[in-house]
Amino acid sequence: MATETHCPYCSLQCGMRLAGRRVPEVQAWEEFPVNRGALCRKGWAAAGLYGSRERLTSPLVRDRESGEWSAVSWDDALDRVAAGIRAAQAAKGPDGVAVFGGGGLTNEKAYSLGKLARAALGTSQIDYNGRWCMSSAASAGIRAFGLDRGLPFPLADVEEADVLVLVGSNLAETMPPAARHLDRLRERGGRVVVIDPRRTPTADRADLVLQPVPGTDLALALGVLHLLVAAAAVDEDYLAARTTGWESVRDSVAGWWPERGERVTGIEAHELRALAAMLAGSPKVMVLTARGAEQHSTGSDTVLAWINVALALGMVGKRGAGYGCLTGQGNGQGGREHGQKADQLPGYRRIDDPAARAHVAGVWGVDPDTLPGPGRSAYELLDALGTDDGPSALLVMGSNIVVSAPNATHVTSRLEALDLLVVCDVVMSETAAIADVVLPVTQWAEETGTMTNLEGRVVLRQKAITPPSGVRSDLDVIAGLAARLSDVPFATDPEEVFAELGRASAGGPADYSSITYDRIRDEGGVFWGGERLFAETFAHVDGRARMYAVEHRGAAEVPCADYPVHLTTGRVLAQYQSGAQTRRTRALPDDGPFVELHPLLAGRLGVAAGDPVRVATRRGSMAAPARVVTTIRPDTVFVPFHWVGANRLTNDALDPASRMPEFKVCAASVASLLEEVAQRPSRDPVTHA
Amino acid sequence: MPERVVVVGGGMAAVRLAEQLVGADVQLTVLADEPHAPYNRILLSAVLEGTHPADALTLRSPEWFAERGFDLRLGARVLELDRAAGDVVLTDGERVAFDRLVLACGSIPTLPPIRGLVRRDGTLDPRVHPFRTLADCTRLSTALTSLVEEGRSPVTRPRAVVVGGGLLGLQVARALAVRGVLTEVVEGAEHLLASQVGPAAGGVLARDLRRLGTEVYTGARAVRMTDDGVQLDNGAVLPTDLVVLTAGGRPSTALARRAGLMVRRGVVVDSTLTSVTDDRVQAIGDCAEHRRRTTGFVPPAWEQADVLARVIRGEAASYDGLRNVARLRATGLEVAVLGDPLTAEGEVVEVTNPVSGSHRRLVVHGGRIVAAALVGDLSRVGLITQLYDRGTILGPDEPGQLLLPEAAEAPTPLPDEAEVCACAGVTAGEVRACGSVAQCVEATRATTGCGGCADVVRRLVGGTTRERVPVG
Repeated sequence: MATETHCPYCSLQCGMRLAGRRVPEVQAWEEFPVNRGALCRKGWAAAGLYGSRERLTSPLVRDRESGEWSAVSWDDALDRVAAGIRAAQAAKGPDGVAVFGGGGLTNEKAYSLGKLARAALGTSQIDYNGRWCMSSAASAGIRAFGLDRGLPFPLADVEEADVLVLVGSNLAETMPPAARHLDRLRERGGRVVVIDPRRTPTADRADLVLQPVPGTDLALALGVLHLLVAAAAVDEDYLAARTTGWESVRDSVAGWWPERGERVTGIEAHELRALAAMLAGSPKVMVLTARGAEQHSTGSDTVLAWINVALALGMVGKRGAGYGCLTGQGNGQGGREHGQKADQLPGYRRIDDPAARAHVAGVWGVDPDTLPGPGRSAYELLDALGTDDGPSALLVMGSNIVVSAPNATHVTSRLEALDLLVVCDVVMSETAAIADVVLPVTQWAEETGTMTNLEGRVVLRQKAITPPSGVRSDLDVIAGLAARLSDVPFATDPEEVFAELGRASAGGPADYSSITYDRIRDEGGVFWGGERLFAETFAHVDGRARMYAVEHRGAAEVPCADYPVHLTTGRVLAQYQSGAQTRRTRALPDDGPFVELHPLLAGRLGVAAGDPVRVATRRGSMAAPARVVTTIRPDTVFVPFHWVGANRLTNDALDPASRMPEFKVCAASVASLLEEVAQRPSRDPVTHA
Repeated sequence: MPERVVVVGGGMAAVRLAEQLVGADVQLTVLADEPHAPYNRILLSAVLEGTHPADALTLRSPEWFAERGFDLRLGARVLELDRAAGDVVLTDGERVAFDRLVLACGSIPTLPPIRGLVRRDGTLDPRVHPFRTLADCTRLSTALTSLVEEGRSPVTRPRAVVVGGGLLGLQVARALAVRGVLTEVVEGAEHLLASQVGPAAGGVLARDLRRLGTEVYTGARAVRMTDDGVQLDNGAVLPTDLVVLTAGGRPSTALARRAGLMVRRGVVVDSTLTSVTDDRVQAIGDCAEHRRRTTGFVPPAWEQADVLARVIRGEAASYDGLRNVARLRATGLEVAVLGDPLTAEGEVVEVTNPVSGSHRRLVVHGGRIVAAALVGDLSRVGLITQLYDRGTILGPDEPGQLLLPEAAEAPTPLPDEAEVCACAGVTAGEVRACGSVAQCVEATRATTGCGGCADVVRRLVGGTTRERVPVG
């Protein structure tokens, strides 16, 4: 009998069936509403890691002198970890140990990890890689609406829009089954707008494609709003009844006439007018942002600027219209709700709110005063590791930091400066490879847990296959460490943990207390907060959405003589995030990294397709073959980030509100490696410190 | 005690400076002589045209200034600058003390030497309209409306003569034409836009304007207002209801001159925008003269405001007279001027196509685009502007490639090894091996993911286009 479960990868959390207990086989689950049986090749190949020779099945410890790994028992491994944590906290206080989680962890794990940090370890130093995912949209959503749920409506509502504006999303490659909604929307006569420096496969399904200079999506939104005001297309009644702050926003865009926008964004004035005309004449406009708009040092303001567009048109709360964020990671939504974020307690509560502390401490059976305050954000936490003020021990769960952190060479050096690095993973990831202790854990489908997809729909990943002997679930690891370091009880049964999570979240902005595993099974997933939000009111006390007059500041790093082009990063269809799973899946092609550049730039550099090129920034360099394509801006190069290298280049400038690093744009130089080798045969590899 | 900064002027440069001084330790007073909250002058021709509402011009409201502790005085006219006392004297006698004085007075339209422009009683002929302020724009717009409402026969459209064929003149001319006014342009130089572009580009523009119904007289000067209209220096009389003056603005320097500050064309400033006469006085925007140049455009004025704000904050900053991009905002006319394409030093790469009516010129120096004029064809203006602004060093073929239309890629048949379904990883060959779409779906899962390859798959299996692909 097949088990109904969900794909291990992106935030779509496509439903699938797994058959066969020995050799798992993926089958379509046509009834599940989000994907109706459709999967991309990652989903079809999801079981590829089962039985892989690269699977870790025994705890490993590394001898720092020799670099040798040796297998140890679970008790031995956990004892070592506990001893290391004790030593770190003895030397540096409670914050001597840090915890780093992930947006791919189930709700139960995210919740337990946060509880481990706050209640068992007493450290404030916990954050997670979701900070690098959709935190800018989360921050903007909370400011504008008083609540952050990626999509405040079911994804299928997209089909009802008259105009869908995708800002920085390549969903046809990053969540392919979602692209079907675009086709149905267009069959209905609706139109799709894609805003992306690259003409992606998503753009191939669009009616209007705008390719702005990376880092200027905010200015583009201001230019659009200027034209909507000029065309008297704003919904004054809606603005008066449901928002505050419109007057100052309106004034702030008076200075964004299209020709000024053109100079900043590279989007020609007539293109901007075409977009505004499309929006002005449409009863239902939906704006969705994704990482392309959000992963900037101005990411949260960029999202606010696009939210202003949706609000000015009177769209937010209207069915088939409004604003949403296309969350990236599998549990990007749930992962940010239950307490692995530095400033947060379960239920999307704030850790500096006394009532929230009292409630959660009550569920945990601890004194509220023992709970730590807010800690450092993800990048700031990693940047502090091994420093005088920073933690000297780190527990990593569900993240491959060495590949996925910005300014990765620096971050790796911080990891190496730790006294103790503990990594829980299913394979020897690049981060596990520099750890002191590696704990082998169960993967997707070998365990049960809930995920909250991009719509805020809580779904159940059910255990379908038996894990290899020797591995334990992350929940077991957490409970094992907690038992060694505190008296606080930790459940290991996922359903039990979920019930506790429900109690802890009760009354919070993201309240899961009414959701049960049975309801999820019966109802095809359960939306927290209801299926559609904001129809009548927003979550601020006065019920109104807030409009903020945000200013274009531009990228933290702009091209200069030494680094004359923009670098942007992203994903390819067949790989996922740091590639720890997908690069090891034989059914998925792994062609390695590449550097995408326009023929104009290739001609300038004397580069032909396939030639090795070196991309360098102020932080590092990498080499990869060139892909010469007319689909990218001629002043921009693109590198996928699934392999070590891309993030050695990226900028660690942070958004002041969300603490999101500027993954999506920095200044870079590109050179043909053939020429470099021919001209300077003895030259050492370039590294720019 | 925070430094008392007094800004004379409430135009675009002054607002930008105020924006950049939010949070700085200064006590800011802005003396704006116009009665309206600071507004976007760039949009006035769009207001005249009817494509931008007159009530949506405000850049920052009085409340915005007040909330930030800034003292915005509307309708505050300055009588003189008393440098000895460190005061600005208003026409009502009030004295406003400053530690630092910023002149952002803008420019004032000059009246061309046309007899009869000013009547014997010293007032302007009522048919004559300068076009600089919101009040000018409103007055012209009102005049237009009443001309239409005067009950003239529907076949007689109002007529206007625009004096000046520069950027503003062309914008106003097009705005009037869009409003249904029979418009003619008189330009003293031998071609339009003579201070920005050469004769070929000017010719393209004149032809475009005529095509749009606006007659153009170049090398012609208006010399006299007559009862019928405007007489040109060649004797011809252009009958008209309205005359709009757009030629000749000059920096507003009377206050500075009277205060003994060094003034040539504008208030002479150094690279920190500081008067060479008095280091407590600074000037930005149209009234400032830096390296013997005054500008008259918004982008340099804002850049100067940004630099000055940093200077006021005590940061190291200097203005090096950088790059201007002038874009014509006139429906139906396509013009972009980057830098100074007439005088910039460098090699000229140029494509003129009189058949299609386009002229595209890049001036390239050391591999960099240092100036450009694009008329009649703005393709790639966004990219060219980026390359210009960034000073990107181009390859030898690139300037030419940038000016030519982008080559369309010829469709080629898919080779068997080409991937057609990325979701399922299916190649063209694998699809071709299938007898039908249904068989292909069964065998390969092509089309069942994102669905984007459905059309290609249908073509490759050679099935009819009507065969339905099951939506998975």
